[in-house]
Amino acid sequence: MKQHLLCTDTECTPNVMDLAVPASVKQEWAALQTRRHFLGRSGKVLGWAALSSLLGNRALRGDVPMNAQQAADAIKAPHFAPKAKRAIYLFMSGGPSQVDLWDYKPNLAAQYDKDIPDSVRGAQQLTGMTANQARFPVAPSHWSFKRYGEAGTWVSDLLPYSGRMADDLAIIKSTNTEAINHEPAIMLMNTGNMNAGKPCLGSWLAYGLGSMNDNLPTFMVLQTKLNTKENNQPVSSRLWSSGFLSSQYAGVGLRSAGDPVLFLTDPDGVDREVRRGMLDVVNEINRQTYEELGDPETNSRIAQYEMAYRMQTSVPELADLSKEPKSTWDLYGPEAKEPGTFAYNCLMARRLAERGVRFTQVYKRGWDMHDNVMGIMPIICGETDRGCYALVTDLKQRGMLDDTLVVWAGEFGRTVYSQGGLSKDNYGRDHHPRCYTTWLTGGGVRTGITYGETDDYSYNVVKDPVTVRDFNATILHCLGIDHNKLTYKFQGLDQKLTGPFPASVVKDLLA
Amino acid sequence: MKIRQQVGVISSKLLPAKRSTCLAWAAALALSIPLLLMPWIVRLDGHAHADWQQFLGRFHPLAVHLPIGLLVLLPLLEMAGAHRPALRETAGFVLGLAFASCLFALTLGFLLAYGGGTAGAGVTLHLWGGIALTIAVLLCMLARPWWSSHNVPYAYPWLLTCMLLALLWTAHQGGLLTHGNNYLTQYMPAGFKRWAGIGLEAPVTASFYSRHINPILDANCVGCHGASQAKGGLRVDSYESLMKGGHDGPVIAAGSPEKSLLLQRVTLPSDHKQFMPAEGKPPLRSEEIAWIKAWIQQGASPTATALAGVAIREDRPELPLQPVGDYSALMPEIRQMALAPGPKLIQVSAKPEDGLVLFTVDAASSFGDAQLAEFQKFAPYVVEAELARTAITDASFDTLRQFTHLRALHLEETHVTGNGLAKLAPLTQLSYLNLSGTQVTSANVAPLSAMKNLSHVYLYNTPAQPASSAQSTQPIAQSIARNTP
Repeated sequence: MKQHLLCTDTECTPNVMDLAVPASVKQEWAALQTRRHFLGRSGKVLGWAALSSLLGNRALRGDVPMNAQQAADAIKAPHFAPKAKRAIYLFMSGGPSQVDLWDYKPNLAAQYDKDIPDSVRGAQQLTGMTANQARFPVAPSHWSFKRYGEAGTWVSDLLPYSGRMADDLAIIKSTNTEAINHEPAIMLMNTGNMNAGKPCLGSWLAYGLGSMNDNLPTFMVLQTKLNTKENNQPVSSRLWSSGFLSSQYAGVGLRSAGDPVLFLTDPDGVDREVRRGMLDVVNEINRQTYEELGDPETNSRIAQYEMAYRMQTSVPELADLSKEPKSTWDLYGPEAKEPGTFAYNCLMARRLAERGVRFTQVYKRGWDMHDNVMGIMPIICGETDRGCYALVTDLKQRGMLDDTLVVWAGEFGRTVYSQGGLSKDNYGRDHHPRCYTTWLTGGGVRTGITYGETDDYSYNVVKDPVTVRDFNATILHCLGIDHNKLTYKFQGLDQKLTGPFPASVVKDLLA
Repeated sequence: MKIRQQVGVISSKLLPAKRSTCLAWAAALALSIPLLLMPWIVRLDGHAHADWQQFLGRFHPLAVHLPIGLLVLLPLLEMAGAHRPALRETAGFVLGLAFASCLFALTLGFLLAYGGGTAGAGVTLHLWGGIALTIAVLLCMLARPWWSSHNVPYAYPWLLTCMLLALLWTAHQGGLLTHGNNYLTQYMPAGFKRWAGIGLEAPVTASFYSRHINPILDANCVGCHGASQAKGGLRVDSYESLMKGGHDGPVIAAGSPEKSLLLQRVTLPSDHKQFMPAEGKPPLRSEEIAWIKAWIQQGASPTATALAGVAIREDRPELPLQPVGDYSALMPEIRQMALAPGPKLIQVSAKPEDGLVLFTVDAASSFGDAQLAEFQKFAPYVVEAELARTAITDASFDTLRQFTHLRALHLEETHVTGNGLAKLAPLTQLSYLNLSGTQVTSANVAPLSAMKNLSHVYLYNTPAQPASSAQSTQPIAQSIARNTP
């Protein structure tokens, strides 16, 4: 019986010399089977083994010894002289409706309850929530718009405070994303990738720029407490994770109620001295572990313990608002006195900026309005509008807006057509990735402008699209970073926030 | 009689009685006269003509570089020919080829100008340059045999020099037509510009037209619709010519943007045949279009200084960053500080010459005048000092005045009262000064108005804060009296 050429039966192994392969391959094969070859190869292998044992286990580690690494961190600097030294990112989780807030479409009133033309919608794949709807009736915004400022910017009546600072904003109407659901979209906005595991913007900044102070983390996250009337999408610590970067670059969250940081207060009977003694011993053990294993995360742990120790004094000072002048409360409103409100977090963001924190991200959930837009919108705008205005105005009057970048963005926009029924009293809006409105202000930003245009249905971008990558590249640029140069080698790639696809800084948004 | 004899002698030298030479001169004359007369025979009237003329004419920029290259090569060949005779022979051929390609390029150029309906001073100059150059090349060709036979040794080198100058001038005129008047000087370093006195004239009037509309047209349109070319008979380099319009009538209809041809053309889809700016030049930015629209809407006035609903922030040109000196000798100390708790010096950017920022946020309450004095050796390299909430007092102004490269100074919530702020006057680069939350008084702040680069002064929450700006969001700098250009 004839054996197949690739048969693995050891009794009748195919002979290379019988195969239909080039003669050169046969020769190479013959050469590989000689004793000389075996000895030569094993000699080299033994040589490498000897070398690695001579070099010690250091040679096997991917990291740099601690002190050298710290020294490298200490001279971290932007690629070019930045306009902004720090940034505050107001993240509107859930996807704020651009149609009802910023993207004024007066012509839509005439389209009320008419189906949105197929030509506008194109072959777009919709979410499971509206894909099976029989029709897509246009729901014009319930609220009217007014012109504000010298630039005459149209802003919805829902945002009277934001309107007052319209001249200080660069409003981007053409932001667009590739993701259509919350988790991938919010991951994309924050980390440049829809899948979890990549470092977020704040971590990249901490990694690239280093810290401006010793007593607080470089990157802090403030969560606004839930309003159960709103449809709250989860916001998880993946969003401020440092991914494959050292965990010392991860965001540190302040809690919205109770102690800002859990277990920061020493328990009864433990004073600063006892705590210090304990930390010294723990650090010593950690250092031994590092010597033994060489895992850089051990160093991060030492650094984080030390940071927590210093935060025992810096955080109470941070959270002590008793010295704020009356003008602060006039500006931020009485809500700002209550920890966990958006206004409180905005005030906190200003205080963190004053204390040398590079990047503060404030999360406000609840913008996900699949129904009851008319009921929820005034509530959530009431919660956030004044805080945003107060923060920008406060930074401006204190001279901090010159070197602080402020970003307001969600993960996507909302559809112009109604999800569910459309009535005179209410409508809903589904997720809309093709266009949404964001704004920037502060250091390095050209303010008093509106950038990008959408079509008559606020559905497609017709001019100057800004992708999430472009958006992030522009933010990095304001902080002095070339997004193509801020990289970290991981999994064989020079990883970067803007990912492998081309991204460009939006020059027209820069001062 | 004598004169005639002398002429006879010279002519017998110059013109060996060869029939072929006479013929060559006659032919040259016969060619030169129509060349010289051509601009009068076929006038550039600014109207577009046959398409085939434009089609051929557009090869002018392609063809024109051949004679340029050849003519630049020519003197090199002649010089090198002194040592290698073969090259001199080549030079003769190159000259002949250059002449032929000159004629070809000239013809195409004329077709381009005539067919495309271009007119204007620049085109005329370039045309005349081209004609003069062609004739100069022709003369070179005729004079060269005398030179190579050593009969008249000077005529050819002189002609060659003149021809090269004509080439330089004509090529420059052509460059101006293609790229605009400020192409070469636009990105000239500011120092050279001042030295050469280019582009420093301030706008004559403060009208919206001269500050915003004219510069847009200047940057995007005047290359083809200006003094050098006036395509379609339209010039937009002055208000009068802009309002006059071109062959298709007025381009601005005051009060009705939708009827204004200019606005129609710049808002067409960019692949439209009539879209402006043409020939793949970048389109106007959306806000530029919005300004033009608003300006036309509100009467297209040459004098109105502001338009309702249009705010254009006019930033003063930022000071170029002055590089600081070399502080590499101090780097070990700077690194040491970075690792220890306490005040730090951090590089502004990866470029050391951008300077250092002094951060004191970690040492705030313990950082006083004495601690600042310790930083004196770093003084010339620090461009920004973050001294907010430190314990420093007015005594530190004596130290701070030595920070000669300081651009930004943060003194918010310190104990300074502003007494001695005038000592900062030598800090010519200082553009940002934050005194918020201090006890400075308006009397103490007054001397700051003499510092002409100091554009951002913050006095929030101080006795010096102007009452009106308590709720105002404007930087308080503007309320300090200052007269800067």
